Amino acid sequence: MTAIDQTAAAIPAARPATKTGPRRPKLRDTWWRHVVAWIAIVVALFPVAYIASAAFTGNPSLAGSSLIPRHLTLDNFKKLFSPGNSTTDITSNASNYPHWILNTLIVATSTAFFTVMLGALAAYAFSRFRFRGRRMGMLGLLLVQMFPQMLAVVAIYLIVVHTGTVFHVLALNTLTGLIIVYLGGVMSVNVWFMKGFFDTIPAELDESARVDGASPAQVFWGVVLPLAAPVLAVIGLFSFVGVLNEFIIASVLLQSDKKLTLPVGMRGFIDQQFSQHWGPFAAGVLIAAVPVVILFMFLQRFIVEGLTAGSVKG
Amino acid sequence: MSTSAVTSPAPSRLTAASSAARSLPSRAIAFFSGPVGLGVKVTLLALMNALSVWALVVLVDHKKWPAVAVLVAVTALLDLIYLSARRAIPAKFLVPGTVFLVAFQIIPVIYTVQVAFTNYSTGHILTKPQAVTQVLQNAFEPSANGRTFTMAPAKDSSGHLALLLVDQDTGKTYVGAASGLKPLPTSAVTKNSDGDITAATGYTIPTGPSRLSLADALNTFFVPAGKSQIQPQGLDSAVEVKQTLRYDRVHDRFVRISDGAVFRDNGRGSFVSDGGEAIEPGWKTGIGFSNFGQMIHDSQVRGPFLRVFLWTVIFATLTVVFSFSLGLFLAITLNKPGMRFRTFYRSILVIPYALPGFLSLLVWQGLLNDDFGVVNRNILHTHVPWLFDANWARVAVILVSTWLTTPYFFLVSMGALQSIPAELNEAALVDGAGPWQNFRKVTLPLLLVAVAPLMIASFAFNFNNFGNIYLLTGGGPNTSDGSVAGATDILISYTYKLAFVVGKGQNYGLASAIGILIFFIVAAISAASFWRTKALENLA
Repeated sequence: MTAIDQTAAAIPAARPATKTGPRRPKLRDTWWRHVVAWIAIVVALFPVAYIASAAFTGNPSLAGSSLIPRHLTLDNFKKLFSPGNSTTDITSNASNYPHWILNTLIVATSTAFFTVMLGALAAYAFSRFRFRGRRMGMLGLLLVQMFPQMLAVVAIYLIVVHTGTVFHVLALNTLTGLIIVYLGGVMSVNVWFMKGFFDTIPAELDESARVDGASPAQVFWGVVLPLAAPVLAVIGLFSFVGVLNEFIIASVLLQSDKKLTLPVGMRGFIDQQFSQHWGPFAAGVLIAAVPVVILFMFLQRFIVEGLTAGSVKG
Repeated sequence: MSTSAVTSPAPSRLTAASSAARSLPSRAIAFFSGPVGLGVKVTLLALMNALSVWALVVLVDHKKWPAVAVLVAVTALLDLIYLSARRAIPAKFLVPGTVFLVAFQIIPVIYTVQVAFTNYSTGHILTKPQAVTQVLQNAFEPSANGRTFTMAPAKDSSGHLALLLVDQDTGKTYVGAASGLKPLPTSAVTKNSDGDITAATGYTIPTGPSRLSLADALNTFFVPAGKSQIQPQGLDSAVEVKQTLRYDRVHDRFVRISDGAVFRDNGRGSFVSDGGEAIEPGWKTGIGFSNFGQMIHDSQVRGPFLRVFLWTVIFATLTVVFSFSLGLFLAITLNKPGMRFRTFYRSILVIPYALPGFLSLLVWQGLLNDDFGVVNRNILHTHVPWLFDANWARVAVILVSTWLTTPYFFLVSMGALQSIPAELNEAALVDGAGPWQNFRKVTLPLLLVAVAPLMIASFAFNFNNFGNIYLLTGGGPNTSDGSVAGATDILISYTYKLAFVVGKGQNYGLASAIGILIFFIVAAISAASFWRTKALENLA
């Protein structure tokens, strides 16, 4: 997370806003554009507004929810974090939500961190060095992309089952096992993306540092990586969100309720039980969504550039 | 594990480096030169080697010799790469990621291919010798005039499990141990009014929880008694059972003792009689292309497979078409230079894209609830069975998918529109083109050059968009063909259900085969996409 936080703070300074747009058009000509925009905003936001309202309404059930809360309360948030025995009482609002949040943070942060670091290392090699197998390596990365890990979920499951009998830290139902499996996706299209960015950093910088006596490792850590901070932040965020959204592998590898990540845990929490759990669920959604949306807003400019360069959030 | 050790101290280095680099890059270089950089490197290498040694000890302990060999070779190679000062510099950068790539991406792919050509599934998990052993263990049934016993599980003086037995017909008492059945003098036994044994000299009878904890041991315990054996039934009784099957080791076949029926290895992981009767369990074995063949020949598999495949294509296509059209429309609407609130609108409209998808999907599942959901109750004031009727569920899936994906195409269309030079449109206007003609003939073709590859990528992404299906409808509702595939299941969620949804059996082999098929489909789509993009030109 450190990389992302830093960059988020650094962006306003790095990209000064320079707005010299054309003459403002008359409202008479653009009113319909505003109407369309507002319709789109209503459609885009009504589930969000609705969930926010449900989170702050005292009534925990779906049937009792409404768009405008009658009185505001934090009951749902308290219920979500109060220890309880959800295993014995299905109508209870208690859940292992704090565990799920913590597990997800651990898994997503470690995966994002290693994705950025290991990916950047590889991307740097592809960008700066000319070696035998370079072209094959980059093409190979693209080829591997077409067989995403989730297609091999059966094999991954069986491998983890077998590995787990020998190494208990990597067994089923461990976060370390899940993280290490996710790290298989480190060398992905992200490497292409980062390589493209490194290509735009003048090689003269490297060379002058080398003349000063720096080793390739020192050039990488000291010169190139700091300059690539924005792109690293975006890759980190995408990787973080990717893990946050990942359901298949997590649901197959994690089994006990306290070990689950958010998607698996929250699906189980409300599945077929909307009437009981809607309020606390809504509170849980808000807590999980707000930080991600804020990060997205901060990094929006880079994300748009990344999108047009061809990476898909997933 | 080893690679995690290699890079874990990096954040401190990065933090230090980036603050220094802004002001004076050379200071950062100086900082990492000499003792500090060397120290970090030596520490990391030492950590990696320590981990390897630990793993080595564990593997030797488990006698996993091939794994030991691989571990030693990999560790030696890593040390060699990082200790050779001036050589193999690219390898130093590439190795950490590659280790994980091979371990958790390439090996799973290879293993998937291997599993796809086997019958690995419920009932075909074991190896053949294991299956034979288990069949023999299971092949007992109460003999026609066999004895039944009242039983009290006990421990003898040395703590071994023994059964104190009372023959229910004759009232004779016995003690049964793993070594055999011995009569027990009545004088040594205390019985209660029901005839149950409550005490016996030389034996202790556990009570309460320690009695219940014997259940597992009793499950596999038997007392040999001549041609038959005595097996516990629960905690209180035992019956005399006879073997029903005999394994003929020479001919590798089972013979049913009662009627002499012969069960032969059918080459597909089961012992089958001439009448087609199979013995459970079977074992895991290679079956060639059968899993793939099933999708064409076996109507039980072909029907659901084709239905799911068709729906996958429809789902991915409609999601992309609707999202792109809507996104482009919004982008054109808001792409008016100098328009008020433009940035504000854009920031708000990307929110569905910024939200973690799984949350949106679960929320939508609630909003579309047919009884209590806000869509039915507050907006439509009707009772649409969104998630319970096959066709409505399909509509719901596409609507929600479009809601989720439109902001993406809005963003990329906006970017693409802004990169089209205004002069082109002005020139068209001068030449007398109307706004529609201008859009059709100038804007759209230029836009598609940039956006078409992204549409193909999005299609490939949605083709495998497990979350959009599974978190909204769970693939349901169920269909009448009795398959695990529900009405909204796409190939990837169908695969998941085949392999992991307990109840209808787990078919790892077929699931892997479909996984491979998906790979070929997506690979073809991606290949089309890469030919169109300039991605490959970066290779120079």
